[in-house]
Amino acid sequence: MAAAAGSVKAALQVAEVLETIVSCCVGPEGRQVLCTKPTGEVLLSRDGGRLLEALHLEHPLARMMVACVSSHLRKTGDGAKTFIIYLCHLLRGLTAVTDKEDSFMSKNIQTHGRHWKNCCQWKFISQALLTFQTQILDYVMDQHLSRHFLSVFSSSTKERTLCRRSFEMLLGAYFCGRVGRNNHNFISQLMCDYFFKCMPCESGFEEVLELVDGCFVELNVGVTGLPVSDSKIVAGLVLHRDFSVYCPADGDIRIVLVTETFQPPFSTSGMEFILNSEAQFQTSQFWIMERTKAIMKHLQSQNVKLLLSSVKQPDLVVYYAGLNSISVVECLASDEISLIQRITGLSPFVLPQASSQCEISNTALVKFCEPLILRSKRYVHLGLISTCPFIPHCVVLCGPVQGLVKQHEDALHGAFKMLRQLFKDLDLNYMTQVSDQNFTSSPPIYKNTRESNQLPEIVNGSKQRPYQSTVVRNKDEVEKTQTYLKESSNLVVPGVEIETYGPCSTPTDTYQTDEKLRCLSPNKTRIIDDHDLFIEGNSNSTTENTRIESSYENLQVTNIAGKGYMLPVRYKSLEIGTSQNYCFSSIPAGCVLPVGGNFEILLHYYLLNYAKKCQQSEAAMVGMIIANALLGIPKILCKSKKGIHSFPQMYVSTLHALQANQSMVSSQTGLESVSGKYQLITSVLQCLTKILTIDLVINIKRQPQEIYNLDSEEEL
Amino acid sequence: MSRLEAKKPSLCKSEPLTSERVRATLSVLKGIVASCYGPSGRLKQLHNGLGGCVYTTSHSSALLANLSVTHPILKILTTSVQNHVSCFSDCGLFTAILCCNLIENVQKTGLMPTTVIKLNKHLLSLCTSYLKTEACGCRIPVDFSSTQILLCLVRSILTSKPACMLTRKEIDHISTLILRAFLLTIPENAEDHIIVGKSIIVPLKDQRVIDSTVLPGILIEMFEVQLMKILPLKKSGSLKVALFRASLSGDLSDTGEGTVVISYGVSLENAVLDQLLNLGRQLVSDHIDLVMCQKVIHPSLKQFLSMHHVIAIDRVGVALMEPLSKVTGTQPIGSLGSISPSSYGSLKDLCTAKFGFKHFFHLIPNETTMCSLLLCNRNDTAWDELKLTCQTALHVLQLTIKEPCVLLGGGCTETHLAAYIRHKTFNEPESIPQDDGYTQTELQLITEAFCSALESIAASLEHDGGEILTDMKYGHSWSVQADSPSVANWPDLLSRCGCGLYNSQEELDWSFLRSTRQPFPPQACLPCGAVGSANNLTLDCFTAKLSGLQGAVETANLILDISYVIEDKN
Repeated sequence: MAAAAGSVKAALQVAEVLETIVSCCVGPEGRQVLCTKPTGEVLLSRDGGRLLEALHLEHPLARMMVACVSSHLRKTGDGAKTFIIYLCHLLRGLTAVTDKEDSFMSKNIQTHGRHWKNCCQWKFISQALLTFQTQILDYVMDQHLSRHFLSVFSSSTKERTLCRRSFEMLLGAYFCGRVGRNNHNFISQLMCDYFFKCMPCESGFEEVLELVDGCFVELNVGVTGLPVSDSKIVAGLVLHRDFSVYCPADGDIRIVLVTETFQPPFSTSGMEFILNSEAQFQTSQFWIMERTKAIMKHLQSQNVKLLLSSVKQPDLVVYYAGLNSISVVECLASDEISLIQRITGLSPFVLPQASSQCEISNTALVKFCEPLILRSKRYVHLGLISTCPFIPHCVVLCGPVQGLVKQHEDALHGAFKMLRQLFKDLDLNYMTQVSDQNFTSSPPIYKNTRESNQLPEIVNGSKQRPYQSTVVRNKDEVEKTQTYLKESSNLVVPGVEIETYGPCSTPTDTYQTDEKLRCLSPNKTRIIDDHDLFIEGNSNSTTENTRIESSYENLQVTNIAGKGYMLPVRYKSLEIGTSQNYCFSSIPAGCVLPVGGNFEILLHYYLLNYAKKCQQSEAAMVGMIIANALLGIPKILCKSKKGIHSFPQMYVSTLHALQANQSMVSSQTGLESVSGKYQLITSVLQCLTKILTIDLVINIKRQPQEIYNLDSEEEL
Repeated sequence: MSRLEAKKPSLCKSEPLTSERVRATLSVLKGIVASCYGPSGRLKQLHNGLGGCVYTTSHSSALLANLSVTHPILKILTTSVQNHVSCFSDCGLFTAILCCNLIENVQKTGLMPTTVIKLNKHLLSLCTSYLKTEACGCRIPVDFSSTQILLCLVRSILTSKPACMLTRKEIDHISTLILRAFLLTIPENAEDHIIVGKSIIVPLKDQRVIDSTVLPGILIEMFEVQLMKILPLKKSGSLKVALFRASLSGDLSDTGEGTVVISYGVSLENAVLDQLLNLGRQLVSDHIDLVMCQKVIHPSLKQFLSMHHVIAIDRVGVALMEPLSKVTGTQPIGSLGSISPSSYGSLKDLCTAKFGFKHFFHLIPNETTMCSLLLCNRNDTAWDELKLTCQTALHVLQLTIKEPCVLLGGGCTETHLAAYIRHKTFNEPESIPQDDGYTQTELQLITEAFCSALESIAASLEHDGGEILTDMKYGHSWSVQADSPSVANWPDLLSRCGCGLYNSQEELDWSFLRSTRQPFPPQACLPCGAVGSANNLTLDCFTAKLSGLQGAVETANLILDISYVIEDKN
């Protein structure tokens, strides 16, 4: 039994070790880690989750951390390395704070008592952390950070369409952290091409993403021995099998799926087949043969040219298939079969019981069906015609060694996971009762602010009109501006906010478009960069919406708060048809920020501001610690940079920009998902709370119990 | 009973390349592969203390497959080379040496891996784009109307494998055979896309190499007993052939999941045998002359068939099924019952042939792209090496059809490329994308590392203590004997460059490969006459070498990028 007097200290030590390993592969400058498996397999990886698992850690705290990381990864599929770095910095911050406090502590408390006192203190802190995570973080995200969000959607219409350029930037940044430095551009381009090739139209990508994520193993083919640059996308589906019989066919090719053998067996299970004479045996064999022949003939008459079978078919079937110029592919994996079913909507062919002359309804058309040779291995290449919004394409991944091919495969798969996460709205927990002690500083008009969170939808709705004429649109916007003005009357809410903005006057109805994104959003889209100056502070709308910058002088209109409160609701009921007064705020789907620590610095800045305003010392301290820990990531990312891009320079200039409400200078060209980052922080905080609430680690020196056995048997 | 143990923690090492042990093993590996390279390469004897045969080889695939490499970094390197070889057959040693040298040279510069990797990539793309241009000075287009270049290519491959133990005359003989075998696999009436056939290598050990031969069609080995039975049956003219995939041994087919109850006195064996004999009758009535079966034919059926003057060959094996079905135009039969006449095929002739001590059926097809290459060599290990080499040569010829050009061999491509890159980076630095990631000095350092890695391949060709020189006009490599005076009359000492394209009487300037020289632009265009006249060129496969170059640089980059090694100790 070991007392965890320094549970935080021990955790810090563990986290620091993990940090040193993990931080070498963070970011675009990160390097590779080579993992060997007991089987002798060699794997290259920059995937934090994989590395942590490969370490097989022994330390209980380390194992807990790894468990937290993997549960986070299951949820989001990204951010394992950042997780460890945050955690490490948070622990460092906590120990620094408590060390200071310790010195003030009276020395006469007995050590034992002090231990328990420590534990109480940790528990207190952990509670504060939890409150922070559930309340303040969401509040800050929603109230302050949301103004900086960009979106990967290019159009302002209700149909969400992807902006290809920002999509590329998003993927570029993702692959920077996942694959080797030489290949990330290539792989990200490949992924982008693949994604857009699989999509029939601009919308409906959620389903495509879901399908690709679920069946990625079937949708890629790894080829070793060729340079990475030979990787390509092929149209259609590549099955990891060879033809048993191949009969070249063109024109109208129909396929049939089978899950059982065509040749009728002598007997099925639970049945007895009684043979009384040799002739009987011969007749039955003859019958079996004739029947197989008849089925095949019938298939041929139905124009079936290809049999896809999940089982091995007897020689007889293969022979007759060949005679009737039907190609056969046997022993397909069940996943492959289900993928084909999903794409074509085809159900397996059931053998007609009585007569073989019935109509076969379960056939599907394919465009082509041919052998594909990749590095002297033969595959079946099918041009399936899709009935769902996914146009089948396969990725052929090449690389000199299997480890590299696997890494690219994993990275692509992870990217699909990340995208799925990105395109989900993430509800924030920001609906708590005002009575909470932490929110004493927030005035009671809270409700209104929440209402105003509905603005995106409103703007969305009114956006449908602008197409009529400019005049109308202008009117519309004036109207909207008014709404905003009324809204801004509510802005008094967080007192902090107004101060930070300072006086400024921008003309009404000006749009600032982000230079980077402009080309993609032709006339009607106004994508606003994070460094633009936003006045409508409390609308958490993202760039999918038009933003109007109103002058701050209008803030004087404070006494129409009531109206401002009403308006959004009215709008909403107009456009959506449901008027719901209380609504959770959320991070809308597709929210992104430039990479390179932008999110962290922004959050750091707003948290610091919050902490300054905060009356409660405990909450303020927690806020400070978290804010400072956030800087860990940008510090590592800027480690190798010099001059203006070095961390201190960048930090100071960003802070200045934020304080002066100027545009933030960002040298980055990549984007990253906001919701991913947000979830990461919550996961880290939860993990930290867990660590803090532990007061004792009990070491059991016994054979693992039954439950443990079950677990490990699964692994075996 | 608990046999489960808690997993052992893994071993985690940082910056593996800086460790002395890794460097040492890397240089040992480099020593092994470099000493095997080229016509005068040293042979390696591989033997397993636990048994098995002893290999004498200098072939990369045989060498690396048997070498047990433990360090994960070396494992990456060797698997990368093996993967390359399994794709392209050729240039395995080239890839391995280049990769080792590149890692070593880059380590010496002590630059940040980030910069190195970026620059290596730029230099590689410089190389590949140069090699792909028409103006490339080390590339010769292949003229398929004459066999000269192809013959040179095959001969270079054979010469570079000393473990085949061939004399000059034997090399000439085998290279003609290989080329002939290859030409036999090309269909006569070429449509828009050619489907190249296959040459089957038939082993014939303990014979003179000169006895090797190429035959169109397929050879199936037979036993003397069979020979006695069949000889009198030989008839002339076209033969009708049936090829069975299903077993004709009379065993019962799968009876399904349920139970089969057989009454007393009913013999299924007899029933099946009856069926087989019925099949035999059908075959006879269909005027089949030759029955072949992948599996076993029941003796009774065999007997029956031979009574009716039908030749039966069984146990053909799955590997021969596809060539057989192609050669004869049959559809492999999977049924014991009614056989569609459309699944029969035909042969022009069948004869028996004796090569060495072995008897063969020789299936002579009407028209096909299949041929058999009967390879002889004096002993097992030399035969194995010769077989590997022949496969390499055949594969290289196929690759050359796809990409009709060849590269100069004998180290000339490497020195020429090195000269070109040096010239480009020193004299035309704008040819490499200038981004903020590196300085001009770093570029020059890496260029030097890259070029000397390339040149060291040319240097690896020399194993007898000689020196490699390069001329200052074409950038080709020249070899000089060990005990020649240091300052000498070069034109007299040197005769021809490594690839054999230029001779020393051309008023060239030479310099030692290991000495530093001023970057110069190597003359790009090949003299038109030179290629035609020289009939003893040393040539390399273009596709294999290009891909080897890419593979080597990519693998080196990968290895340089590794910052940690996590070894699972379970």
